[in-house]
Amino acid sequence: MFTKFEHFVATSLMGSPEEAPPRRNGHLQFDRDWEKLAFGIAIALSKQGHYEWEDFRQTLIETIGEWEATHDIQDPEWDYYQCWLAALEKVAIASGVIEDDELETQIKQLLDCKAPSIP
Amino acid sequence: MSSAHEHPKADIALRVKAIESLLVEKGIVEPAALDTIIDAYEHRIGPHSGARIVAKAWTDPAFKQRLLADGTGAIAELGLTGFSSEHMVVVENTPAVHNLIVCTLCSCYPWAILGLPPTWYKSFAYRSRAVIDPRSVLQEFGLEISEQVEVRVWDSNADLRYLVLPERPAGTEGMTEEQLSVLVTRNAMIGTAKVDSPKSERVASEAAP
Repeated sequence: MFTKFEHFVATSLMGSPEEAPPRRNGHLQFDRDWEKLAFGIAIALSKQGHYEWEDFRQTLIETIGEWEATHDIQDPEWDYYQCWLAALEKVAIASGVIEDDELETQIKQLLDCKAPSIP
Repeated sequence: MSSAHEHPKADIALRVKAIESLLVEKGIVEPAALDTIIDAYEHRIGPHSGARIVAKAWTDPAFKQRLLADGTGAIAELGLTGFSSEHMVVVENTPAVHNLIVCTLCSCYPWAILGLPPTWYKSFAYRSRAVIDPRSVLQEFGLEISEQVEVRVWDSNADLRYLVLPERPAGTEGMTEEQLSVLVTRNAMIGTAKVDSPKSERVASEAAP
């Protein structure tokens, strides 16, 4: 029922049209567990004052803009929460709450640990 | 062997997990606090929060008075606070006045209590016409407002968010706050609908699709 147009244009979480999250009946809609986690972390860090929410918003808008500039508007690969995560990584690193290399190290460690279970 | 490039979906879940575990290890984020935030946004933020406010105002005259005098303060009494809902103004529908909310510039919306805005709220047609010709816009929503009734249009902005307090429908005299809140729709709180009188069947038992 949800089109990309709606995601982009029809609605928005914080008041501007560029960052519309998927939703249903006025509720946010999460399709995968990691989306919830990325969503929650972004808000938690802002709530604790590690960065301004507005900084996250602007980064999200820029990230979506970059994606749109390099993809067709109908590209089925569009994934709102991938943009969200990319924005989260950017602001988390820019604010110093996470170091770039420690994140990569952590990812590698998790990958090694999880590799056998990934088909 | 799997590689990151072959499994982008698994990879992205891992990246989030990596961020979370780093933040938890550093003591910056507590898993329980994350759960609370996620639960709030996923389940608690939606039009039913606004409906609670309306139902309370219908059944508690003192609350209604506070709500109309200081929307933000009264709404906070119910534990409803959140981004962008700091300055809430509640406007009351009466037999003589019908209120309608719009944001002509963008999409300012009291999302913390109404959830995410409907598609049409963002549409250029609604934003441009609601102020100029509210009666015909309301007609398109199936709402005929008599010429005797004044229509007031409230243009939201980044600092001020409006909520319509609809009229309590007839036939609801004996109903509890909880029963009433089920009747209150999102559109009624934007002003593009009225709250209907309860149907003879139980409304609350309708399952969501």
